[in-house]
Amino acid sequence: MLFNSLDFFIFLPVVFIAYWFFFYKNLRLQNIFILIASYLFYGIWDWRFLFLILASTTVDYFVAQYIHNSDSNKQRKRWLWVSVIFNIGLLGFFKYYNFFVDSWVDLIHIFGYKLQSSWTLQIILPVGISFYTFQTMSYSLDIYYKRLTPSKDFISFATFVSFFPQLVAGPIERASNLLSQLTTKRTFNYKQCTEGLKLIIWGLFKKVVIADSIAPIVDDIFANYENYPASTLILGVTLFSFQVYGDFSGYSDIAIGTAKLFGIELMSNFKFPNFSRNVAEYWQRWHVSLSTWFRHYVYIPLGGSRVNKLKSIRNICIIFLVSGFWHGANWTFIAWGGIHALLYIPVFLMGRNRIYMDNVVAENSWFPPIKEIFQILLTFSLITFSRIFFRSESITDAFGFLEQIYNNFSFEIYEHPLGYRMIDYFVLLGLFTLYEFRIRRDERSPFKFKSRIVRFIAYTLVILCMLLFFDDNIDRSFIYFQF
Amino acid sequence: MTILIDHLSTFNFKHKSLLKNGTEKMKKLILKSGLYIFLFLISLELLVRLFHLGKDTPTRILDEYKVEKWMPNQNGYSVTGNRRQNFSEYRINNSGFNSYREFTPTKKNIEIALVGDSFIEGFHQNYYNSIGKKVEKSIPEIEVYEYGYAGYDFADQLHLIHAYKEEFETIDHIVLGIKFSNDLTRGEYQVVTSRLALESPINKLLKKSKLLVYSKSIGILNSPQKLLYRLMNILNPAPKTQSVSEEEILRIKKEKENQYLANFDSLVSKYGYDKNRFTLLLDSRITSRLFISHLKENDYNYIDFSEYFEKSDHPTTLIYDRHWNNYGRDLIAKAISEYLKKKELIKE
Repeated sequence: MLFNSLDFFIFLPVVFIAYWFFFYKNLRLQNIFILIASYLFYGIWDWRFLFLILASTTVDYFVAQYIHNSDSNKQRKRWLWVSVIFNIGLLGFFKYYNFFVDSWVDLIHIFGYKLQSSWTLQIILPVGISFYTFQTMSYSLDIYYKRLTPSKDFISFATFVSFFPQLVAGPIERASNLLSQLTTKRTFNYKQCTEGLKLIIWGLFKKVVIADSIAPIVDDIFANYENYPASTLILGVTLFSFQVYGDFSGYSDIAIGTAKLFGIELMSNFKFPNFSRNVAEYWQRWHVSLSTWFRHYVYIPLGGSRVNKLKSIRNICIIFLVSGFWHGANWTFIAWGGIHALLYIPVFLMGRNRIYMDNVVAENSWFPPIKEIFQILLTFSLITFSRIFFRSESITDAFGFLEQIYNNFSFEIYEHPLGYRMIDYFVLLGLFTLYEFRIRRDERSPFKFKSRIVRFIAYTLVILCMLLFFDDNIDRSFIYFQF
Repeated sequence: MTILIDHLSTFNFKHKSLLKNGTEKMKKLILKSGLYIFLFLISLELLVRLFHLGKDTPTRILDEYKVEKWMPNQNGYSVTGNRRQNFSEYRINNSGFNSYREFTPTKKNIEIALVGDSFIEGFHQNYYNSIGKKVEKSIPEIEVYEYGYAGYDFADQLHLIHAYKEEFETIDHIVLGIKFSNDLTRGEYQVVTSRLALESPINKLLKKSKLLVYSKSIGILNSPQKLLYRLMNILNPAPKTQSVSEEEILRIKKEKENQYLANFDSLVSKYGYDKNRFTLLLDSRITSRLFISHLKENDYNYIDFSEYFEKSDHPTTLIYDRHWNNYGRDLIAKAISEYLKKKELIKE
């Protein structure tokens, strides 16, 4: 079920009203109901894959208890490996199996042998598998590192794994945050609900107006990059930066907003990454739940930055390459991760990777100083450059795209594939960027106006924009569903 | 013990009052959301009206000859696209058709009638820049009367000419727009009640909301409609469609073509067709070969505008809409003008 579909807008109020009117009496009822709703939410897409979620839930529920009850470290480690192998095995089979087979065939081919790729299978990628497997794994890892004690309530744990607002595309929650809330009875909080509704509206705006409206332009430019000059290709990848941001942060906002309606606070996933002043700050603001996951469960166990410089650089390379690979079974994502590692290492070596952790751009002023504007533009350009690899279908296409920019370095006015006015999109993105800059201090309060009338006008304009840019003929699924 | 009971009853009371408080706040949220939705709808209605995002829809009538047309003497604006990508003014004349002219044919002047559906009706252009006007610019000696009405098929067209026989007999030449796959589905004229149902009191009421009209035109109501359809199918499941072989498809296609051809002949014989004065306007790319051969064999004149469109290196249709854009209309006007010039209708 898509957040931007009519089905969801029928499903959500029904579940919301039933939850607070009929299932509010005790915690068990609340969780049973949320669990059923979550399985229904996922099952509408494909009920067969519910068994995978159930399997992942069951394995980690029991493994966590075995880890906790084990006497020796060796035994604890052994049980941890059961969880890791099971979850990575699920991911490996459903997401990476064909990639490994094809890569093996290609490798053999390089050495002059011809091998038929007859081992590849027709596998459907279960939506959200990368998210919920990481979530359950984090639970077992937290138990292993003794950060948590295992839950003895299977229903609460199953609800933690399958909580529908964040099941298919995150934020990837930690048990310490989400499970602890699910083991406490929720009471209706008016303010929390209104904040949730505001986030849902803002998330929908980002998805429908920003991401979906520019998607046909990006698709056209990337599909026909051989025919366009450099100016158009740069426009295409810049617009893709906005598209992927609008799409994924829009999803996250809707997820966080929906969770609030049920009395649950999810972690923030996006903190205005487009205003980052260096790549390190960007990774503190973009897909926060994933980057912190890798930091907690990969980077720090490897020694993080507490080891010597060379090992730290190795660790940085590992987390970025793994993070790239997490996104998809394609060399383009690994290259994208590699580029980010290369962009991050100089910042790390200069000791500037933590300097923007606790402040935002133009912290105490209306407008950023020239230096910060330059930093933002440079960071945005570098990130956008890396997205050529993220968006291209193959490495060959990505290099073809770059080659075309180099060989056809000229300017030409781009015309929308459907003949629409391009100026509409430029004005829209300009206003969107300015508005995001205005609200940059708090990603969870997109409509922070003191006056009720101004707030109402803002909501109305946002809804009007959704009508102005709505297109019934485009694919409205979320980009990160494929991951 | 008493203290414990007291404590428990206080807790129970507090718990109950919390729940009560929660339920009341929940009710408040629902009521407030309802109020907000209502206010949003009102505000959006105002904004849609202010920026004229929704199209105006003229009133339809069925006249004394059972001809369906627009109620005379109305005007308004037609809008296409979410952001008013196409905005044009229409003017329904005294005869009930969109035109800058009043239709007053005389023996003295040279008049051409263009009869057809929405493509001829031309709500997607300013009425003073219509195909007829473009033809008049090309041949200043003539007057062009555009009898276009959305949804008119060949039966509607011939019935109109038949019903207003006197008027059309005074007109020197008549061009009838025809699309083989759409316009020959019936062999006899009958009032299209489904179209006139759009003038039912409930539809009239719904049309008063510009927001609703706008939402429908941009496709935002497609999902609810599909959902309704899905629900209806649950109650009354449609019979399973069987896979049809290619031969069967060909047979059905041929059968349909023969039926349409028979309908054409039936309409022509029923309502009359003056081969000297009447010309069909068609696109041979989407017209059955059988039909074209039939026209040729029986000396029916026709204008084939396909070659004009094929040669075009610009788009000929609108964004969001398959109707001809201004360039497409230029080409149609050119095709008609060149044909009329060849016909040498101009009276010395």
